[in-house]
Amino acid sequence: MNTRRVELILVPLGALRRSSLIWGAVLAAFAGVTVAFWPAFEGSSAISQAFDQMPSGLVQALGMQDIGTPAGFLRGNLYDFLIPLLLIGAAVTMASGQTAGEEDAGRLELFLAQPVSRGALFVGRVVALVIAVAIVVAIMLAGQLASDAAVGLELPASNLIATVLLCALLALMHAGLAFTIAGWLPRPSVALGAAIAVGVAGYLVVALFPLNATLAPWRHVSPWDWAFGGDPLVHGTDAWRYAALAAPAIALAGLGAFGFSRRDVRAG
Amino acid sequence: MTSPAAQRDRAAPAVRIEGLVKDYGAIHAVRGIDLEVRPGEVFGFLGPNGAGKTTTIRCLLDLLRPTAGRIEVLGLDPRRDGVAVRSRVAYLPGELRLPERWTGAELVESVGRLRGRSDGPRRDELAERLGLDLGRRMRDLSSGNRRKVALLLAFLADADLLILDEPTSGLDPLVQHEFLRLVREAREAGRTVFLSSHVLSEVQRVADRVAVLRTGKVVAVGTVEELRGRARQRVEVWFANDPPASDLAGLPGLAEASVDDHRLSAVLSGPIQPLLEVLARHEVVSMLVEEPDLEDAFLDLYAEGS
Repeated sequence: MNTRRVELILVPLGALRRSSLIWGAVLAAFAGVTVAFWPAFEGSSAISQAFDQMPSGLVQALGMQDIGTPAGFLRGNLYDFLIPLLLIGAAVTMASGQTAGEEDAGRLELFLAQPVSRGALFVGRVVALVIAVAIVVAIMLAGQLASDAAVGLELPASNLIATVLLCALLALMHAGLAFTIAGWLPRPSVALGAAIAVGVAGYLVVALFPLNATLAPWRHVSPWDWAFGGDPLVHGTDAWRYAALAAPAIALAGLGAFGFSRRDVRAG
Repeated sequence: MTSPAAQRDRAAPAVRIEGLVKDYGAIHAVRGIDLEVRPGEVFGFLGPNGAGKTTTIRCLLDLLRPTAGRIEVLGLDPRRDGVAVRSRVAYLPGELRLPERWTGAELVESVGRLRGRSDGPRRDELAERLGLDLGRRMRDLSSGNRRKVALLLAFLADADLLILDEPTSGLDPLVQHEFLRLVREAREAGRTVFLSSHVLSEVQRVADRVAVLRTGKVVAVGTVEELRGRARQRVEVWFANDPPASDLAGLPGLAEASVDDHRLSAVLSGPIQPLLEVLARHEVVSMLVEEPDLEDAFLDLYAEGS
């Protein structure tokens, strides 16, 4: 990689440094606070019985099945909804901010007036976002593992790592969508709003469709199902699930870069 | 030995624009501009705000894609060879948006890495001449100081063509003076300077030629002297006898003539020679010709046909 390409990654990465550290710390703290309640759940028959009395479909929709086991506890409280959605929020905010946001503010002009192509600038921002998300999940994972060890929550580390990786890829896929929109349209709010909306819709599909026999088979259209359909905290995951999320993420980001090199740059 | 390509390159105009049109939906920002900037000249690009100067400039850098027309910059097509064009062009944007948290030095370093060159001594020299502290962050700088940062970047770039959009707005007179010196030095070094402004006075002091733009069209191109020739100037003549009204009527370029006793007062545009020939046949006591006000001349051009 030449200096120019490295610089095109380092510029947006510098801008994302602070927010990725904050997001990572917030998610790690979130995991820590949640795990602190594990001793109360562990072996508590009252809580398990309470969920047993609820309709099983609803319990599954809330991700609360097996809440008394370590994997079930983490899934129900963190990895079924909150962590993936927060990660999507973080990735999409950073992705739209560094492309459509910077363009809308007129701050890309200075860089695009240098001997770099539009595509190279855009791809530099995509790579920076991937690194920033990696920083966020690394901090979060470290926090999770430390908290688990502290309260004695025992879970195969490989399953936890696979789940966190799937969360990251799900977030990057939605960031890819934000990149596509930002590439064609310099409107940060549209890129952000649409990608978040798709993320929430995807969650509703996997949570609610199984409650209805007609809709149930359609839950597979949701990227959330591609990521977590195999219950990775309990069973680990298959390699194809990584690819199923990574491939569209790359394609969507590429589509954004293509769009960005074909249109007018907004002056701000 | 220079290669044939390099020779052709040198002979090519620094900028050639043919029939440039740029529409934003129903808004016609540029309506058919033809222009040629010669290598090594300082070219003034004048016009009121909204005339299409910035739109034209952003097309030169391939930040905007023309609706119609052809553009060549240093013999290259900015659309196809954008990277090659921008490696030889330094650009100072009119609307300055710089990274808020960066210091001037960080920005200079980053741009240096993108351009593949750094020149510490020249950077320090420019900073000193412009009176700029490169250690301060952008968010702590006044708009004038931010513009100095952008000026420094433009003159540090070692580019064949400098495209400067409203470079001196917000600068104090001392720095404006230094800026004009830098432009002259760039010309002496063989660089071409494309200088956009809505302020005539800053352009007329350095520009070899100027183009005047109004509502997306070029309304005049020429040297400052040629445009001065087109400028209107107030003329007053005191005759020994009654002014020769019949001789003066229909004189080319003479307008708003009024006679008060032995005094003729009028506005003259174009060459003064025909008037002098008439006056030579009469007894003139005194005469006053005001220096043409170029500012007014350009305002006339802006207003023509509107």
